[in-house]
Amino acid sequence: MNFRAAVAVRSARTVTAILRLFRRGATTLPGRVAIRICPDIIRQLADGETMITVTGTNGKTTTTHMISEMLENRGFTVITNVSGANLATGLASTLIEGLRIRKNARSSGKTVVHVLETDEAAFSKTAGSLMPRVAVVTNLFRDQLDRYGELSHTQAFLSRGLDEAADARILLNADDSLVASLAKGRENRVIFFGMDEAAMTRNTVTKAGTTGLGATTSDASYCQFCQTKYEYNARSFGHLGDFFCPSCGFSRTRPAFSVSYSEDNGEEGELSLSDVGFPVTLRYQEEEARIPLPIPGLHNFYNTLSAVAAVTLLGEILPGESKLSFSDAAASVSAVKPAFGRLEKIPVGDKSVCLLLVKNPVGLERALSFVSQAGDADGMYLLLNSNDADGKDISWIWDVDFESRAYPDKIFVSGERYGDMYLRLAYAGIDRDRITACPMELCGDLVDQALSSCGEGKCLYILPNYTAMLALREILVKRYGMKPFWK
Amino acid sequence: MREQLRICHLYPDLLNLYGDRGNLQALLRRAVLRGIDCRIEPVTIGEHFDPDRYDLIFLGGGQDAEQNILREDFVSLKGEAVKYAVEADKVFLCICGGYQMMGTEYIEHDGTHLECLGAINVRTVGKKIRYIGDTVYETELVPDKPLLYGFENHSGRTYLGDGVKPLAKVVSGAGNNGEDQTEGAIYRNVYCTYSHGSFLPKNPQMTDFLLQRALEVQKGAPVTLDYLDTIDEDFARETIQTCKKT
Repeated sequence: MNFRAAVAVRSARTVTAILRLFRRGATTLPGRVAIRICPDIIRQLADGETMITVTGTNGKTTTTHMISEMLENRGFTVITNVSGANLATGLASTLIEGLRIRKNARSSGKTVVHVLETDEAAFSKTAGSLMPRVAVVTNLFRDQLDRYGELSHTQAFLSRGLDEAADARILLNADDSLVASLAKGRENRVIFFGMDEAAMTRNTVTKAGTTGLGATTSDASYCQFCQTKYEYNARSFGHLGDFFCPSCGFSRTRPAFSVSYSEDNGEEGELSLSDVGFPVTLRYQEEEARIPLPIPGLHNFYNTLSAVAAVTLLGEILPGESKLSFSDAAASVSAVKPAFGRLEKIPVGDKSVCLLLVKNPVGLERALSFVSQAGDADGMYLLLNSNDADGKDISWIWDVDFESRAYPDKIFVSGERYGDMYLRLAYAGIDRDRITACPMELCGDLVDQALSSCGEGKCLYILPNYTAMLALREILVKRYGMKPFWK
Repeated sequence: MREQLRICHLYPDLLNLYGDRGNLQALLRRAVLRGIDCRIEPVTIGEHFDPDRYDLIFLGGGQDAEQNILREDFVSLKGEAVKYAVEADKVFLCICGGYQMMGTEYIEHDGTHLECLGAINVRTVGKKIRYIGDTVYETELVPDKPLLYGFENHSGRTYLGDGVKPLAKVVSGAGNNGEDQTEGAIYRNVYCTYSHGSFLPKNPQMTDFLLQRALEVQKGAPVTLDYLDTIDEDFARETIQTCKKT
């Protein structure tokens, strides 16, 4: 670390101390100060460290969190960024914060690994400084187009980042054509993960409409190399599946790491996809591991698999590392608990609330699918804001297939755009008597109301977008004594 | 006999940007609630478009990369049929990219010329700065002259030529080009706007107007739609007014 970097670190620490004094989360400001003083700070602090990065549209936080917990379970010291602090400023804050942790760990002989959730645009800028050993790309879906621009731009960011991260083994989602195409020209560094082809056919198929209005909107219908429409042998969800281009031959690669439903359902036979512990089977080369899914939902098949894959690859890369085999990784993932706002279930008296952060069409679609299958659901609460961090454009709620699922009887709606969300539900054919809608200022009272109508042993599912979740979290901390997210 | 209405959704797999689907849901809902047998048929690249089959044709917006995939199909393969439908007074709703492609030309900000259909006399010039945000318009088009609410997100500046009228006047937002307060375009029964997504759901009078025009053209006679309340839509509209930011 040069002098300038040392000054940057000291300054960032002062900022952190001040923020803590006022009980504020110090997730990005210290990093911003440090970068201002020393623009090269990330490279200097990351130099010589073992890094895993996770980027892509959905599943970043959950996958990062899973990898971190697994490594900690295996006796490693992990430095990771908290909830959404995934831009350069957040990464710098995390690295600075990690300096002391690093020192302590090394003096006690522990191995340190950084596991960093990285925003797609930030990945292109920081990958060359971070120099990850393993880089995970989860998926690419349309997400706040008014902020991020077109999907092809996001893909270009990832491509640039992967070139910069020249030492990384790259874990790509085989089922996502937009991600799988990133393998071109990097074949010797790429390892694919994906859902087993036979398992895909068991995924819930949305009922076909009689009116001709397509159920959902696909983000990648046409081959990006030759503009021919993709065909699918089987689908997973969204545009994910066993795709192939009938014209140029670009097609899904059979993944090295795969996941399927466990054929022998055994005692867990009664479990639904929305239950913790749903049995799945992970495969890598000749090995196979049957595990209870630590966080439920079809999308978590992917998150769980990519986390296990990242840890397994790290084990192959680190010299003399014997604690990170595929079977070790698979065994340790089942103990993982959900990350901040991602299927977090919190007990409230004899009931519980479950938070599912929803930020984009496919995320909401997955969450709705989840709630409609959850046996303990008694009430669903949607909150929609349109602040800068959410994306100003909320019309994406119309891309989501609300129509083809059954929901809990009572539905609650709030957020600054509660009227828009109310109308979306009404247009989905949900009777207006079932919906209670109120302005954001009263969103806490609506939690009380929703909980009082929720039955004993049942769960209220809350689906907020980003800033709505932050606001709601604060209210839940005050009213129900939950712990603040920055700990 | 039950009335029938056939809607063509052109390029649903490519022109489906943020919420375009909502406009079709609005048409479908307000038709079905009135007992009209309403069907939506997708027609995409390489597929035959039969203009006589449809009462209403919907063309949404897409990402640039996707619009370029269909440009040739739209201009060359389906071009004549679309122009025929326009001159035969078929009702069109064209949003954002679909609106631009119905025009005569699109000049990108770097000067590249993109071929367009030329079914209506409007031209678009791309700029680097995008217009993004909630919009409000006034229009004389529909009874009671309600305000129209939308959301725009476009880098193209569209200018109306002879024979084309604006759909509405801008109250807030940028509209066609940020200069002349016009929003959208009308030529014969082609209705164009930069408001995507939840445009029709939040503007039920506009939905009803399009349904009525489509039935009138089909029958060749004036039509009065059955009364249908706007309770749900009004609720959403009121909350937009109260939560309006900057």
